[in-house]
Amino acid sequence: MRSVLSRASRNFLWRHPWQLALALLGIALGVAVVIAIELAMESALTAFDQTRKAFSGTATHRILAGNGGLDEKLYTRLRVEQGIQQLSPIVSGYVGLPNDDRFRLVGVDPFVEKSFRSAWQEENSDTDYFARLITEPGTALISEQTAARLNLKVDDEIMVTTGNGEQRLKIIALLSPSHAISEQALSGLIVTDIATAQETLGLFGRLSSIDALIDDEASETLAQIRRVLPSDALLLSAGEQSEAMREMTRAFSINLKALGLLSLMVGLFLIYNTMTFLVVQRRQLIGSLRAMGVTRRQVFQLIIGEAFWLAVAGTTIGVVLGMALAQGLLHLISGTIDAFYFRIDAAALRVTPVQLGKGILLGLGATLLAVLPPALEATRLPPMTVLVRSRLESGVRRLVRITGLAGGLLIPAGLALALLSGKSVMPGLLGIFLLLFGFALLTPVFTLLAMTLIERVFGRFLGILGRLPARMVSAEISRTGIAIAALMMAVAATIGMDLMIGSFRQTVQEWLQGTLRADLYVSLPGEKKSIAGAAGDRQLKARLAAHAGVQMLSSVLTTHIIADEALTKVSVFDLNARARRGFTFKQAAPGGVWDRFEREQTVIVTEPYAYHHDVKVGQTIMMRTEQGKQPFEVLAVYADYSDQGHLAMSRRNYQRYWPDLGYSGIGIYAKPGVDLKQLEDQLGQSLKAPRSIRSSQAIYQASMDLFEQTFTVTETLRWLSAIIAFVGVFSALMALQFERTRQLGVLRAIGITPIQLTALITGETGLMGLAAGLFAVPVGYIVAYVLIFVIYLRSFGWTMAFHVNVAIICQGLALAFGAALFAGVLPALKMARTRPVEALRNE
Amino acid sequence: MSKEAAIAIHQLGKSYEESGRRHRIFSGLNLHVNRGEFLVLLGRSGSGKSTLLNLISGIDLPDSGSVIVNGTEITALSEHNRTLFRRHNLGFIFQSYNLIPTLSVGENLLLPLELVKPLTRADRDAVAALLDKLGLADRYDTYPDRLSGGEQQRVAIARALIHEPDLILADEPTGNLDLETGRLVLEMLDTLVKKAGKTLIMATHSREVIGQADRIVSIRDRSLVSADAFGS
Repeated sequence: MRSVLSRASRNFLWRHPWQLALALLGIALGVAVVIAIELAMESALTAFDQTRKAFSGTATHRILAGNGGLDEKLYTRLRVEQGIQQLSPIVSGYVGLPNDDRFRLVGVDPFVEKSFRSAWQEENSDTDYFARLITEPGTALISEQTAARLNLKVDDEIMVTTGNGEQRLKIIALLSPSHAISEQALSGLIVTDIATAQETLGLFGRLSSIDALIDDEASETLAQIRRVLPSDALLLSAGEQSEAMREMTRAFSINLKALGLLSLMVGLFLIYNTMTFLVVQRRQLIGSLRAMGVTRRQVFQLIIGEAFWLAVAGTTIGVVLGMALAQGLLHLISGTIDAFYFRIDAAALRVTPVQLGKGILLGLGATLLAVLPPALEATRLPPMTVLVRSRLESGVRRLVRITGLAGGLLIPAGLALALLSGKSVMPGLLGIFLLLFGFALLTPVFTLLAMTLIERVFGRFLGILGRLPARMVSAEISRTGIAIAALMMAVAATIGMDLMIGSFRQTVQEWLQGTLRADLYVSLPGEKKSIAGAAGDRQLKARLAAHAGVQMLSSVLTTHIIADEALTKVSVFDLNARARRGFTFKQAAPGGVWDRFEREQTVIVTEPYAYHHDVKVGQTIMMRTEQGKQPFEVLAVYADYSDQGHLAMSRRNYQRYWPDLGYSGIGIYAKPGVDLKQLEDQLGQSLKAPRSIRSSQAIYQASMDLFEQTFTVTETLRWLSAIIAFVGVFSALMALQFERTRQLGVLRAIGITPIQLTALITGETGLMGLAAGLFAVPVGYIVAYVLIFVIYLRSFGWTMAFHVNVAIICQGLALAFGAALFAGVLPALKMARTRPVEALRNE
Repeated sequence: MSKEAAIAIHQLGKSYEESGRRHRIFSGLNLHVNRGEFLVLLGRSGSGKSTLLNLISGIDLPDSGSVIVNGTEITALSEHNRTLFRRHNLGFIFQSYNLIPTLSVGENLLLPLELVKPLTRADRDAVAALLDKLGLADRYDTYPDRLSGGEQQRVAIARALIHEPDLILADEPTGNLDLETGRLVLEMLDTLVKKAGKTLIMATHSREVIGQADRIVSIRDRSLVSADAFGS
């Protein structure tokens, strides 16, 4: 009995392959987006972890300092005087290769490093080239894969570029990674001994960090280290470092995952729609089965069982699609993390069973959840029912009122949750989801009102046929309502995101135009760790100042200092009056900022720093210096959209406590009447790579390009949810037209031509799109508001002005209308082509 | 009653394919129906009664032969022209009523009129008058799902007649109705169709209809047999 029962149900699906395909596509797309984001995000963060582990191995702790690093004597003191054996000194920095590849140069003590069992040395511990690294200056190791990629072999030389110019390194051996993870980690590494790294990076007598292998129980050893540490150094556990890195990207990760969930939510509507339709369409079959003695439980099991197998198939396709999509997203996500958070080396997609399990569970769970209401509805069908569509719809009207009421309650709840949840990103996003869901529940009510209005206003001019499309939308609200809600959600999210990105773009444009006051900028790239390198920077600055076409200069050094017990980015400014005018203060101490900024022990902080660290004007930040902790008063909070927050202090203040590390950038203000292009060419000729000179316009353009690149991930995900919504509308329309085949056949029988029928159906789908678009505009506006003033503020600490762009709203409307109209073309043509005799076959 | 042929069917052949096998429904079928005649079509289920009505209305096309309605060979017309022909010359009554659920009773009746010409006040009055005649005067704005089966079939009859076609085709119009309601519907057809001089072809099993018909034919062995041969 059971197998025949299943066959009755299964055969229906086989006879409606497009419905089956759309249901599978809905599940697959939703699952694919969620899995892709999860995999890409985790792979990017794992790449960072792997690179760190590649040269810190099993180290449990790390001693680090601000830029300028640690004095190498600290290592000797800890090892010889304190007798702490499990220590490994590290000198690291980024170098460039002639082909523009960027590598991390890591200087280690090969013999000490052995006990740390770093990934790179597992297979190579017995060879003699460790000794050669120490005895032969300027020698290095790279992986076999890197050598093959760069077409290098043993004894070849590579030219690396650092802030100090170019250096040659001789490859003395190739490392053979023992597994894929170490191969991945080694792909961006050049390994040398300490002395070669110091020489190459210009860090004479300095170490970047010291790794330590200390049992967590050995609190005495940790205390011993802390006692010896200079006041400008920090001891951090590996877990703390890893957690800090993940904490930094948590908001970014949550935002991406929210976009993935939006896709799944839109997909859920689609699955619900499809499954409901599959049940409704078979109400005669179910009624007959019930009359034959099939119990409610068996009907329920039949529907759920069918949904389960659909979910399994859809999720499987979704997992495969998700992995392919993740590969594309990984590049975009790594780029964003690299630009805004921390340097990340080449990442490869890593697929773990846990991540896949999450996606599979989500696909199966979401499908079964979506099918629960129609499955319960099926069990309520009386035996031999001949439920007419209109009866069903009158029941749905009651449901529409209830869901409308629920939507009306969810919207203020969502708003309250978003606005009144402190600084947390998660409740803010949950608020947006509640808002969207609330508006989605309200969509059928809005649609009924809109259709009534359209009919009242235009009905008298349109005649009976002209009124039919609006009537059809209203009459079949159980199907049209869900499709419109799904489309509305996707379009509202699109409008909301576009308004937010547009507002952000305009804010950044205004900020850049205000900030880039100089005519030309000289960039002095590389990590500023070398005191020796500073002399070269100073000479360059003097040379620039002496040029006949230069009126004045400003400068910045970007470095890291330990502030309030955390390694913090600091901009050290030497500003002239024109440069100062480029700062927009969000809050400032009374009585002026700049005089106190130069003369007193003060800092100004960026808006994100103030937000994330809860810092206000007048408060004090404690900074570690060689002379102990020093208090710096916060004078002002200024607008900055370059990163996740930093401090700024005057050069005079900085030099009181920290070593001169030169400059990261020099702003050049030309004398009036000087040809800027000529000046740029003249000054550029005297600069050696990697130093470069660019006009403020070029920097502006590059910054805006970076801005656009950062939002590529968002754009991609947004379009994916729009595609899912489109599939939803298409599926609903196909289902609708299929279900009303006979009704359309009657219209043909009484004399309606195929063209009139096509116009009727496309009129209906156009109205559905219009309803979705019209409702999506205010919803998108609210979403944009919450994104700007809640989510982005909490995620990044940036405030921005809300710029309403009419073009974006029109685009949203056009998207909804166009998508629905386009989705309706195929069903309309299909129905118009159907011969009336086929449509009336059951008569 | 004029004896001029309203419908002339010559050598009609129709078959369909199922599971790779071709099933013949008609072969060399001939039929003449006079203008104003009430013809009853009998036959077992699946004998092809509905198919014949579909062929006469131009909803379906034969494999061979011709169908001429009011002097127009509809089997020679394009799909578009057949639709226009139906619009002007035919009224169809279905067993399951097939009213448009998204239109009110009044609008269901106005639709065939609107397909022919722009609506006027007179059209609305005509619809109201017909509904009044059918005892549905208070149902103008009601939607079909609020009507009983008998009421729906009365509206369906009104829809088939409102644009005053010459030919009415009725496919088991009382098939879904109880005896009493069926009788009422037939009386109505008798009054509105037969007495108005319109040609009516009805596929039915109803004995009462058989008594009212001008002529009875039956589909047997893929061709038509007259009432005499049928022996009723």
